[in-house]
Amino acid sequence: MLDLATAAPAVGAAFVASTVEVVEAFTIVLAVATLRGWRPALTGAVAALGVLAIMVAALGPLLNLVPLHGLQLVIGILLLLFGLGWLRKAVLRASGFMALHDEDAIFDRERAKIGDEVADVIAMLASFKAVLLEGLEVVFIVLAVGAGRGLMIPAALGALGAFVVVMTFGLMVRKPLARVPENTLKFGVGVMLSAFGVFWTCEGLGAPWPGDDLALFGLAGAFLVIALGLVAILKPRAAAATA
Amino acid sequence: MSVVLEVLEELWSMFVGDRRLTLLLLAVVALGAAAAYLIRQPMLAIAVVFLGAVGVLADSVFQGARKAKG
Repeated sequence: MLDLATAAPAVGAAFVASTVEVVEAFTIVLAVATLRGWRPALTGAVAALGVLAIMVAALGPLLNLVPLHGLQLVIGILLLLFGLGWLRKAVLRASGFMALHDEDAIFDRERAKIGDEVADVIAMLASFKAVLLEGLEVVFIVLAVGAGRGLMIPAALGALGAFVVVMTFGLMVRKPLARVPENTLKFGVGVMLSAFGVFWTCEGLGAPWPGDDLALFGLAGAFLVIALGLVAILKPRAAAATA
Repeated sequence: MSVVLEVLEELWSMFVGDRRLTLLLLAVVALGAAAAYLIRQPMLAIAVVFLGAVGVLADSVFQGARKAKG
């Protein structure tokens, strides 16, 4: 039986990380739908979801054959690579060294691209690619957050929650989700994935954590403080560089 | 075909987008493994991996800032 302290970080990490990816995919699907109609946009999106479902069904059972420590170590390293990469970009954006990710700009870019390509097939492919690429990241996040410690169901529920929330919100407002503070989300995701990464890498090395799963909260807090400290150090330098 | 290539490119960039960060992190994990398996000090392994990850993040951020400036 899973307790809340064990399941909550997995649900939260999968939810927030998946929200970022679903928002990106939805923005592109919406751009396609605005230009070419919902039919090619949804056909491409549904086809991509089908491919993703087949991939998960094919790869999921194989995870049971891998030794737990080995799986935790590999996933921990991958999570650290993924998480530190996100955190790095989020810190650089928050400090002003990198332009903020702009969903409005993505929407306009996709619209301009598709405006030149008049065929519905191309519009459908654009939608297919966006959902497949962003969906692959969601699949990885669910596997990474859930597979190491038998938390696949909480992680999958977190990702499903993100899908439902973004779709509901997106279909209600029917316009790009530029109001979602994307860099703030990415900052949080980078912190959580980095914390999970350190936790599982050490578990994979056979080093047990003091406080077991509760150590995750301490790790996330430490990464948050360190990342905010880096932003505080870099902000004046960015301001001086642009002055 | 281009869809397959884009998927592969996306997967590659997810993990090896920053080669320096990847190599430094693998070196940190190797040090952690040495602490855990060679000298059998699990707490030292935890300290090495955590502090190493923080160091890799700081290095990568300052490197990114330098590149953006220059």
